[in-house]
Amino acid sequence: MRPIALRELAFSSQAGAAARAPAAEVDAAGDPRPVRSPVQARDIAMCLTAIALLLRPMGPWFVRPAILAVAVLMILSPALLRSALAWGAIAVMVAVRIADDWPLADNHVYLLGYWAFAIALSLRARASADTLACSSRWLIGLAFVFAVLWKTMLSPDFLDGRFFRVTLLTDPRFGDAAQLIGGLSSGQLAANRKALELLPPGAELLDPPSIAEPARLRLLASAATWGIVALEAAVALAMLLPAPAVGSSVRHAALLLFCGTTYLFAPVAGFGWLLLAMGVGQLDDRQSVLRRVYVAAFLVVIFYGEIPWAGLALDAWRG
Amino acid sequence: MKILAPALLVAVASSQIALSRTVDLTPWKGGGFGMFATLDHAGYRGVDIVVDAPDRSEALQVPASIELVVARAAACPTDGMLRAVAEAVVARERRYQRPVSRVTLTFWRADFDRATLRPSERPVRIFVYDVP
Repeated sequence: MRPIALRELAFSSQAGAAARAPAAEVDAAGDPRPVRSPVQARDIAMCLTAIALLLRPMGPWFVRPAILAVAVLMILSPALLRSALAWGAIAVMVAVRIADDWPLADNHVYLLGYWAFAIALSLRARASADTLACSSRWLIGLAFVFAVLWKTMLSPDFLDGRFFRVTLLTDPRFGDAAQLIGGLSSGQLAANRKALELLPPGAELLDPPSIAEPARLRLLASAATWGIVALEAAVALAMLLPAPAVGSSVRHAALLLFCGTTYLFAPVAGFGWLLLAMGVGQLDDRQSVLRRVYVAAFLVVIFYGEIPWAGLALDAWRG
Repeated sequence: MKILAPALLVAVASSQIALSRTVDLTPWKGGGFGMFATLDHAGYRGVDIVVDAPDRSEALQVPASIELVVARAAACPTDGMLRAVAEAVVARERRYQRPVSRVTLTFWRADFDRATLRPSERPVRIFVYDVP
């Protein structure tokens, strides 16, 4: 009699049932094959969140190792991945991280805290997947509402284009894109940066240098300004409008389009990973194609962040 | 259950807007999702430090040991944050046995001309700390 190895099936909500009834499937040699139960979208969402925690370690010494350790254990143990207590602990540690150096934490750290809290609550709820999906929609929708509010109503220098005109010239993370797409030469970029350096209060240059802004650069700044507002507003509406008005596919298309375009330029991959993990949290278990698209998008955002594509393209362009 | 986390988001983000309007919290920080919305961020705001004592009046570069506390004060220049900077400056001066009787902190911000983009530094708040 051959020994039967019972393997724990990662992401199976019915591991017990699988273990009880494995005899239905055998391979050609007669060995039992592990019974596969469908992977739940909720599990993928939580797993991607744990991976995001590992990809961008955060916080001071008294929370960082604990966050990393819990994230590793969550990936290794399906039971811990589905533990409300573990996600509650992550939410608390993220809150401690925010409080420790308030107000310096980035916004996606707050969103991560809300998301971990939402996961913990959903795991205690009777309709766990529905609760998580609903929380995900509201969290993404509201975050984007506030982002649009800041850009369109509260900020004095966004809609008139100043934010991107200055940022494309001065932020080194956008320098390659400003040259590649905006048509600036490296000499112009350096001169512009010098011209935009701050002078002490009251000081004024006798002959202030002018700033070179080729038409393509102005066009890029305008496209970035209005494009980001349009994309963020689309995501906010798609998430917050009720289901009859906006179908699930529109909602996911808006979020994927935002992540696919924004994080090509914006140097905040951590935000992208989190949004994508939250997007998966809205899928039901039949939407396996969309689930794969989200996982692919998660990987694409890793590549966006790690490959200096604009610099490489610029080098290739200049020979 | 479904709305607890979103409600928390709304509460924090609304508070962030209120703080940015009342105590100059930078829109980029504080959980209000105002990042990439304005030039009013850490690169274009700061705190200048002047130390006074009998026979001494000196502008200080921000030393590495107090960079974090200065960054917090620049992001949210409340009395408490600025006092923390002043106390850190006094502690550091005393460590080096330099006299200090007053610390004057100037919180400034940069504005960019709408047409030419030319920047100018604008003092927003002055905080004076007399050493007890």
